[in-house]
Amino acid sequence: MARLLPAATCGTMLAALWIVFMVVPNEREMGMVQRIFYFHVAAFWAAYLGFFVVAGASVRYLWTGSRTADHLAEAAAEVGILFCTVGLIMGSLWARPIWGVWFTWDPRLTMTVILWSIYTSYIMLRAFGGDDEAVRRWAAVLGLIGVLDIPIIMVSVRLLRGIHPAVITQKEGGSGLADPWMKVGLYVTAAAVLLLAGWLIRLRAQSARLTEEVGVLRQEALARGGAA
Amino acid sequence: MHAALAILRKDLDIEWRTREGLSTVFVLAVMLLVVFAVAHDLPPDEAPALAPSVLWATFVLTGLLGVQRGFLLERENDCLAGLLTAPVDPASIYAGKLAANVVVLGAMQAVVLPLVGLFLHVDMVPALPGLVVVLLLGNLGFSALATLFAAVAVRTRAREVMLPLLLLPLVVPLLIGAVVATRMVLADGLGAARDGLTVLAAFDVVFVVAGWLLFTYVVRD
Amino acid sequence: MTAGGIENFPYLFAAYAAVWIALFVYLLRLQRRNRELEEEMRELRELLRR
Repeated sequence: MARLLPAATCGTMLAALWIVFMVVPNEREMGMVQRIFYFHVAAFWAAYLGFFVVAGASVRYLWTGSRTADHLAEAAAEVGILFCTVGLIMGSLWARPIWGVWFTWDPRLTMTVILWSIYTSYIMLRAFGGDDEAVRRWAAVLGLIGVLDIPIIMVSVRLLRGIHPAVITQKEGGSGLADPWMKVGLYVTAAAVLLLAGWLIRLRAQSARLTEEVGVLRQEALARGGAA
Repeated sequence: MHAALAILRKDLDIEWRTREGLSTVFVLAVMLLVVFAVAHDLPPDEAPALAPSVLWATFVLTGLLGVQRGFLLERENDCLAGLLTAPVDPASIYAGKLAANVVVLGAMQAVVLPLVGLFLHVDMVPALPGLVVVLLLGNLGFSALATLFAAVAVRTRAREVMLPLLLLPLVVPLLIGAVVATRMVLADGLGAARDGLTVLAAFDVVFVVAGWLLFTYVVRD
Repeated sequence: MTAGGIENFPYLFAAYAAVWIALFVYLLRLQRRNRELEEEMRELRELLRR
């Protein structure tokens, strides 16, 4: 089944692009810029998926010490941050013509920035934490704590001065999806993006596993070389 | 329980005896306050609006250094390794260290609060009980995560910068809750601060428990 | 909130272009890294066999 992933991803992605650019009508108020919405939302779904995978894999690693779980966590964090960044950039490019600003500290956006920071620090810990085996465990603890923080972040950002006009949230949330094809577009795009995220996570996890195996082989070769 | 109290007493003893840690933390807090006040340079009628954010920004930044220091000292003398060989449950070590941090940071808050009142022209006295509650809840939540991650940070290569890097994103919700709660308490008393207090309380419960359960994974060697 | 129209096309284009470039670059980088690692693994295995 894994073999089908690249093909399935490409196929769905083409379908999504077709629908988003050819089938879906122009949105009444926002015009063509609204088409950013489909991939923007899908990207964040992929990012959240990534973060929850990090949490799950972290728990598994702490519980069983499974290396596979550790590689999965490492991969999901990186891919999650990638899609989170992508989502933020798309959001910014959508916001500029519609709201007139490149950025704003409204609740939803603030929460996204906080999450982005948490998982970036996760990646930093793995990258610069040193070569100690314990780094995997620490990263797992961080991955778990990050996800525990999410509901609290959601509640806390509502306390911020809300300037986000309701009409925008509605549109973002989907009640502005007048035409049925828009819903189809969103779901197909989401499917395509999630498949892509899955593919990238699989590749990245493989990368982690290979790096580890190569490391082991190198050690062995050095040891042998010394003996000879 | 005994172990936790013993560790609390030991840590506080060390702090009190040298007084190095306490005094540097206090002075640092004051300096930060000065920086904030001067950087904003607001007239007496506008300055009070700044008090909640300056109070908590100072707390977070000083707290980072204060907690980090505690663990650096431990590391230098390998105390933690010694503690772990004794039949002490890591969770108890966590509890002891958490309590010690809460006490030290609480003392820092006691110094900072009146100074914020002084520098930013805010009368803290009427709202004092409410403020104490908010300060305590914020302290506890911050210390819960800081104690957990300081144990991680001091073992990493990039140790000076690792603790802020790990901790700051995680404590943003705490910061939001604390600032909003402080603002409400100063304006209308403790009752008005319910939203902020809810966030703080939730944060505290979740992360004290999480720290308690996860500390063992952090220090196991 | 009326921003419909062709004048916003640059934003639409930039959004999709940025995203696609980023994703493609990442995908290709990953595939290349994996190939290199597999290559190295083969070499090391050869070396150890001798």
